[in-house]
Amino acid sequence: MLILRLALRDLFFQKVHLVCNIAVLAGVLVPLLVLFGVKNGVYNALIGDLLSNPRNVQIDTSGNTTFSTEDAQTVRGWPEAGFVTLKTRSQFDFVNVRLEGGGQKRDAVLIPSGEGDPNLPDGVAILPGTAVVSAQLAAQLEISSGDLIDVITQAEDRPRQMRLQLKVSAVLPAENVTGRAVLAELEVLDLVEAFYDAYALPEYGITQGKPLADRVPVFEGLRVYAASLEDLAPLQNRIETHFGISTEARTAEVQGVLSLGRNLNLALLLTAAVASLGLAAALVFGFWGEVQRKRHVLASLALMGLGGQRLWLFPLIQALVSAALALLVSFGIFGLAALVAERLFDTGGAAGNLVDITVMQAVSISALVTAFVAFSALMAAWSALKIDPATVLREGAT
Amino acid sequence: MAYRLEIDNMTVTLGDAERRFVLKTGAWSVTAGEVIGLTGPSGAGKTLLLELLGLLRAPDDGGYTAVPLDTSAQTASHDFAAAWRAPQAMSLCAAARAQFFGFVPQAGGLLPFLTVTENIELTQHIAKRPDAAWRDTLLGELGLTQIKGLRPAALSIGQRQRVAIARALAHRPFCVIADEPTAALDPENAQTAMRLLIEAAGAGGSATLLSSHDYATLEQFPMRRMRLEITPAEQGKTIVSTLVPLGTQVPKAEEVTA
Repeated sequence: MLILRLALRDLFFQKVHLVCNIAVLAGVLVPLLVLFGVKNGVYNALIGDLLSNPRNVQIDTSGNTTFSTEDAQTVRGWPEAGFVTLKTRSQFDFVNVRLEGGGQKRDAVLIPSGEGDPNLPDGVAILPGTAVVSAQLAAQLEISSGDLIDVITQAEDRPRQMRLQLKVSAVLPAENVTGRAVLAELEVLDLVEAFYDAYALPEYGITQGKPLADRVPVFEGLRVYAASLEDLAPLQNRIETHFGISTEARTAEVQGVLSLGRNLNLALLLTAAVASLGLAAALVFGFWGEVQRKRHVLASLALMGLGGQRLWLFPLIQALVSAALALLVSFGIFGLAALVAERLFDTGGAAGNLVDITVMQAVSISALVTAFVAFSALMAAWSALKIDPATVLREGAT
Repeated sequence: MAYRLEIDNMTVTLGDAERRFVLKTGAWSVTAGEVIGLTGPSGAGKTLLLELLGLLRAPDDGGYTAVPLDTSAQTASHDFAAAWRAPQAMSLCAAARAQFFGFVPQAGGLLPFLTVTENIELTQHIAKRPDAAWRDTLLGELGLTQIKGLRPAALSIGQRQRVAIARALAHRPFCVIADEPTAALDPENAQTAMRLLIEAAGAGGSATLLSSHDYATLEQFPMRRMRLEITPAEQGKTIVSTLVPLGTQVPKAEEVTA
């Protein structure tokens, strides 16, 4: 395409003007990119901290209300809810644990878990007859993944202990659950509760007691994890309204961070809007001025017959190529600024923690800037269309 | 394909009710290989006339047609006057300029970011008539071979004018329109440039329409002469400039020889 070739030749011939245009664009883009990157980095770090601890999206019911499996199913059907589990009475959650064949026992808390529990590492599932143990418990009893453990419980009014054998499917990382804990299916906890409630459990050698068939399971509470940080407050509100109860969650802390994110976004948007106004004025008049300066060149092209409807492409192509180069320069300077910032403010985290722009964000920013520049070049394009080719004959020299 | 340009009483009016300027072309024609020298006092409308003939300005009235000389070929005439009335007039006229005309402006009108060769090739690219052999011939004939890789800023005014002549002829247009092509040159260079323009146009089979104040140089070459003559009318409110044929000029040197 001849007009493309000519526009590029002219653009790179006038290097000083090209550098000026790139400087104007980069002068506005680089500070905005750094601001955006810092906002992202700081905000993502805060959000990452919150997300790294499932306790931050956890909602626990409180009070004396009882729940059924149907209640749990209802909450599972809500889009704001992630993992949902019922809770047995807390006084019966404490058990003794021993590695099969081991000599030592340790007391531990029994926590209901299952598929989707955010406390479980990726790829770890709790199946019937299996359990996951906390790092502390594993260390003290030298438990490894694949080992068998005995979960032992004893009630004062029962003549003998109940012993359950579970296979350890994983040992949790230390930061996931603190203290000594065994994560198992709700059915395991329910079994322990039935034992305490004096029901007969012949499968486990407990022959005396009330018949298990007469038992109607009733649960003391619900533990619910919100699907996301944004879902925490609405989910808590919905649970409280639906069941008429009070709940406990870290909603205020999470809302504080989310609110900070919204305010940072607003501040950045305002800054970008003001900067864009200035940039638009600089670009519109800059590109228009370029066309005026090059009107003899454009008139010569039109005189030779290259005019028609194509001449408007000349300033538009130059504007878009300038924008592309300015984006390259801006992202380059942004990268350097990010490196310097990360060295100056040692966060102790991985590179990219303090100043962070994702590839998708970079692509979106590039598209937005390109569209902005193209829009700013419209007046120049219109001006090029209006150039009279006879200018070359009437005004003489180029 | 050779053509005859037929100009049929085109007129164009500028100004307002208070003061008006009317240009009348009269009826005449020019054929391939012919040279027409247009003269007239300043303000007579020589550039305006070239704008009309170069499809840079729409006539208010009259006809302007390119008629193919070879009637056996199935080539239609081109009604340039009608092109101005079409919805896509600017595009049509631009396309016609690219195919039929070459222009030699006063100061060259070269593109500063292209080399001599690239400037010359430009009209070939626009007209989609690449012809490296003819380009090289023009470079040689006009004495540009040594400077073909330079950009206009590195050339003298005379060199730029020769490049402009080569560019105007590179795509073998039917007609070359030259507006005061020697105005910026000293007498010696003016005569050289004029000779090169007329010879190269003749070699390429192009007709040449050139306007000039430089009578001394014009008189050195055989050509048809036409003159714009101004006649005030209507109590001086309207100025009418009419193109008047002066007949064919024989160069002074040839008269002496005869």
